[in-house]
Amino acid sequence: MTDRAPRTLVREPSVSSATAPRNRLTRQLAAIGGAGGVLSGLLGVGGGVVMVPLLVLRAGYRQRDAHAISLGAIIPISLASVLTYGVAGEVRVGYAVALAVGSVVGARVGAGLLARISERPLKIVFGLFLGVVALLLVLR
Amino acid sequence: MTGVVLYAVLIAFGFFTGGAAGLLGVGGGIMMVPFLTLVADVSQHAAQATSLLVVLPTAVVASVTLQRKGIGDLPLALRFGLVGAVGGIAGALLALALPGHALRIIFALFLGGVSVRLVRDGLATQ
Repeated sequence: MTDRAPRTLVREPSVSSATAPRNRLTRQLAAIGGAGGVLSGLLGVGGGVVMVPLLVLRAGYRQRDAHAISLGAIIPISLASVLTYGVAGEVRVGYAVALAVGSVVGARVGAGLLARISERPLKIVFGLFLGVVALLLVLR
Repeated sequence: MTGVVLYAVLIAFGFFTGGAAGLLGVGGGIMMVPFLTLVADVSQHAAQATSLLVVLPTAVVASVTLQRKGIGDLPLALRFGLVGAVGGIAGALLALALPGHALRIIFALFLGGVSVRLVRDGLATQ
């Protein structure tokens, strides 16, 4: 299995849904997307924290592909939320611009790292990140 | 913290969250919202709205970067996300009707379980 397999999403063969067509919005993917959206709307956490574990543990995507799909899915999800919140007009535009200037540069670096990192450290790093998020949720 | 220093810190923190978001496949709101409320003294609601405005370009840049490198499937991810956007509206409406604290604890337990499992799987992977 090469790291740079072009445009194909590698799913682990042990998962029951492995017969589902790749690269299509299956019922299972739609359910995961819906669940991610509902939970993020409900709890105020980003969809990624919900979608990545479901894509890995339920749909059997490799960690790297799950992260890439999650990032793409965040585009329409955050767009819908921005439009909703934008009506309320509570955005601190100056702060958002400053954060975004840093974060778009960081996003290139992070995504570049995602493209190179192997499955094992990525799983561990993401797992530890989720643990921290769980703690934050309880302490909040 | 005010003025130029605050903006410099915001840019630096943005770089950190953007990097984490690109690597971890998340938006980064979970890091930015507490930062905005605690360091920049922004209200919870305004912090959430502001962070969403940052999440959008972050996810676009990360997705384009990955697409160029041939990782993932952006058209599929966008359609997948459209379903999520509809779910998000339903979730926001549900949030008004349900006790938030209990849900957060349940969700935190779920994440804690996933955290343990992923680290264990990661350690077991060759």
